[in-house]
Amino acid sequence: MRKRSATVALTLMGAAFALSGCREDRTEASSFPDLASCRAEAEAGSLNFTPADCDAAFAQAQADHEETAPRYDALAVCEEEHGVGNCEQQAEAGGGFSFMPLLAGMMIGQMLGGRGIMSQPLVNTANGRFATPGGTSVASNNGRGAMNASAFQKAPATVGRPPMSQADVMRRGGFGSSGAARTSFGG
Amino acid sequence: MHKIALPERADLHAKAEEAGFSFLEMGGEPYWDETSAYAFTLEEVETRIEDPSSELHGMCRAAVERIVASEELMDRMGIPPGFRDLVATSWQRQEGELYGRMDLAYDGGDAKLLEYNADTPTSLYETAAFQWQWLEDQIAAGALPAGADQFNRLHEALAERFAAMFPPDHDIHFAAAAGHAEDYATVEALAWAAREGGMGAHYTDLGQIGLSAEGQFTDAEDRVIGTLFKLYPWEDIFADEFGAAIVPSGCRMIEPAWKALVSNKAILPVLWEMFEGHPNLLPAFFLDDVAGALRDGTGGSALLDRSRDALRTHVVKPFFSREGASVDIIEGGRPLETAHDRAYDQGAKIVQAYAPLPVFDGFRPVLGAWIVGEECVALGIREDRARITQDLSRFKPHFIAP
Repeated sequence: MRKRSATVALTLMGAAFALSGCREDRTEASSFPDLASCRAEAEAGSLNFTPADCDAAFAQAQADHEETAPRYDALAVCEEEHGVGNCEQQAEAGGGFSFMPLLAGMMIGQMLGGRGIMSQPLVNTANGRFATPGGTSVASNNGRGAMNASAFQKAPATVGRPPMSQADVMRRGGFGSSGAARTSFGG
Repeated sequence: MHKIALPERADLHAKAEEAGFSFLEMGGEPYWDETSAYAFTLEEVETRIEDPSSELHGMCRAAVERIVASEELMDRMGIPPGFRDLVATSWQRQEGELYGRMDLAYDGGDAKLLEYNADTPTSLYETAAFQWQWLEDQIAAGALPAGADQFNRLHEALAERFAAMFPPDHDIHFAAAAGHAEDYATVEALAWAAREGGMGAHYTDLGQIGLSAEGQFTDAEDRVIGTLFKLYPWEDIFADEFGAAIVPSGCRMIEPAWKALVSNKAILPVLWEMFEGHPNLLPAFFLDDVAGALRDGTGGSALLDRSRDALRTHVVKPFFSREGASVDIIEGGRPLETAHDRAYDQGAKIVQAYAPLPVFDGFRPVLGAWIVGEECVALGIREDRARITQDLSRFKPHFIAP
């Protein structure tokens, strides 16, 4: 009986991972730091959007920001997540205050099947990038590129909910520090 | 076992590049070396390597059964108090093992277990795929006879094992530390096998793993990790900030936490106590128990007395060292050879009788017997000029002569 595999996977090109799962629907997306820059590009004709689309998208992004942006119980926690100077105090409807990241722009994209436009607000992240309330991270608030359509899904509302404390905030980097000096973790 | 010279494939470098195998050389030294290869008979592979290694794995399982029932042994083996429940529960729930690699000293007689990397073995891609391709190419080129074979069901066995461990379409995240080509190659080879076994395979850098507000692990794109293969040792996890988050996360880990007991050289004295005299084991002891007896004859035990001759030349190894670090070979009280890398000097150690590796053309081969699930399924060989096989040793292909 043969002691070796009939076939094996021969390549190390990342394809074992890239091929996995379903490929999501993609859409062309643009990001802008403010309404004026969106309108300026729309007027120059370099977009599929009209200035009026910009107005509607930005108004929607602003409303979504108020409703879904993360809220924190302390300025320090907010600044740790979004960078120093990028947070503001917000009065809570039921009394008291929370801290929210400032709106740092919006992402705008074409709905699938050309059924109009969609948008999401952007805020700063601690590492100099930008993120939607749903957690999609983009490098710039002034660029274009293909994006998973699901990045435009509205995030759950945070308004009226208890603000996040230090303990609630997503943490990263909790694995790896104990072996960090080694050249390889395997053997 | 013998070694023969063979022509290197003319298109070796093109083949490696095409495959994305980027570490043919490491640290300026050849790593993959096909200018010679080791030849075995089928009977030798089956009776000297395959069957004994499967049996050794079963003995390790028996040792785990005993260790998880003993707070004292868990303590001795360096499992921190806060993680003993995790280790024991993973065993009681029968969380299945995926893979491991036993390092064996073999000179034509009984193979001897040097140690068992049962948690994070690498060189998986070289063994399962690049070595396999080498055999196919050398047969096609007429350099090896058409009936030549190789002890290498590694890829197929892994695919079957994934399919046995998880339901179809189960999503598994594979995590390795960023920037280590060798580690990445191992997780990608595993991911190919997982896909073939019907799993969904996703990659995440180890350092990018996050912990959500709900206490679940998440990948770099904030997707929840339900099952995590981590090419990162349990003993390091125990010391990491996220170690304590594993139980509340509900995340299924591969390897399971009980492998922290197997991939730990402290299992070697436990095995020797349970199976003293087994032909594939070397006498082994906790250094704390025998240091006095070896130094000036004070203390000791009947078990030790029966192995005194075998221990005249012995090896001192840390519980958790990798790539030969902090290993010393002592002969008649004097160092015969010591590792340059002293990264693990501080930890607890064991003493094991020395089994000299055979020498072929100035190189000493160590056999890597690959276990998938509970069976030995493949062989990968590394050789070094030094007695202590270290991270710059060479990978050597092998074949079974018809």
